[in-house]
Amino acid sequence: MTRNLKLLALFVGAAVIGHVGLVMAVPHALMKVAMNRMSGDGARINQFSFGPRTTKDSRGVVRPSPDLAYSSCVYDLSKGPLLVSAAPSPNQGYVSLSVFAANTDNIAALDTTQYPQGIRFVLKRKGQAAPVGVQVVESPSDKGIILDRRLAPSAALFAEVDKARRADSCAPLG
Amino acid sequence: MSGKLVSAGVLLAGLVAGAASGWYTLQHGMVQGETYSGWRGSKVTGSVDADPWTRARVAVSGLLALNKSQAIYFSRNTDDSGARLREDCRYRVSGGALPARWWSITVYAADNYLPLNDDDALSFDQTEAQPAGKVEWTGILSPKRPEGEPWASTNKAGDYDITLRLYQPTPRAQQDYGAIPMPKVTKLDCGGAA
Repeated sequence: MTRNLKLLALFVGAAVIGHVGLVMAVPHALMKVAMNRMSGDGARINQFSFGPRTTKDSRGVVRPSPDLAYSSCVYDLSKGPLLVSAAPSPNQGYVSLSVFAANTDNIAALDTTQYPQGIRFVLKRKGQAAPVGVQVVESPSDKGIILDRRLAPSAALFAEVDKARRADSCAPLG
Repeated sequence: MSGKLVSAGVLLAGLVAGAASGWYTLQHGMVQGETYSGWRGSKVTGSVDADPWTRARVAVSGLLALNKSQAIYFSRNTDDSGARLREDCRYRVSGGALPARWWSITVYAADNYLPLNDDDALSFDQTEAQPAGKVEWTGILSPKRPEGEPWASTNKAGDYDITLRLYQPTPRAQQDYGAIPMPKVTKLDCGGAA
């Protein structure tokens, strides 16, 4: 009887560890998959990639919005901070830059309502130096994703914002 | 020896059962949170304050979601009578001024991606349904294009749900989701009936 109780306790303990372990691991695993896809398996790190217009065939990330133009920068801060910037869209249409840590947390979101002349910030780890007078975002992880979202609900608007977003930058702080 | 083998087997079975229950929870539980007039939304989506289960569910069904300071997401898979949304039915979605800079309503299939149709109508948004000066708005969810109304196609959507995005919500909306005047979803007819 005692032995059976011990085995039952072992089963329950292992089940709790299995359940919590999987729940904790899933965000990191899915972010890693997304980062690999967005960076072309690591070929494009610390630079923006400009996605095509969202269609039924857009399968890179779940629940894409067909009304937005997406650009992404997979970042790696292990060698130092990045200077990140995005130019506004024509007619002051919605633009935001959002930063996601390796555990999927949205650690920062800046938009052109706050910064109508364009968004600009330094992305760094705690302890890394940054220039004075520049907006700073601290990431809790070396790696993650920066997303540029722009309002583009039609093909014509997509073409307009596509030109504007080509000025985006995500590069090591020179 | 056999006792150790039994223990190892029980340990392994526990780990597998626990992982399976975790996966089931993530697959079958959309992002939890509160329900507001039939729409589900969570205040901690994308937030650093999200608990591990919410964070994992968001990763599965809404990776790279913004936190509420930038966007609020609501989803539903039922109409206002509580019936499951059906691909072969027509629904009218209607509302008034929403407390955000811009909003959209999008259809998603059960796999969390856009429906595999060629209708070029995967969503409708504020710029289409609520041009400047217009307060009350309507849109249609249906498998066939309606005449002269904003439309999101449910063609080939299967067991779908819809997501309402509110971008740059007002501070009051961020603070109190219950104060947001949520759009209505009313069934018109099914199976091509007029």
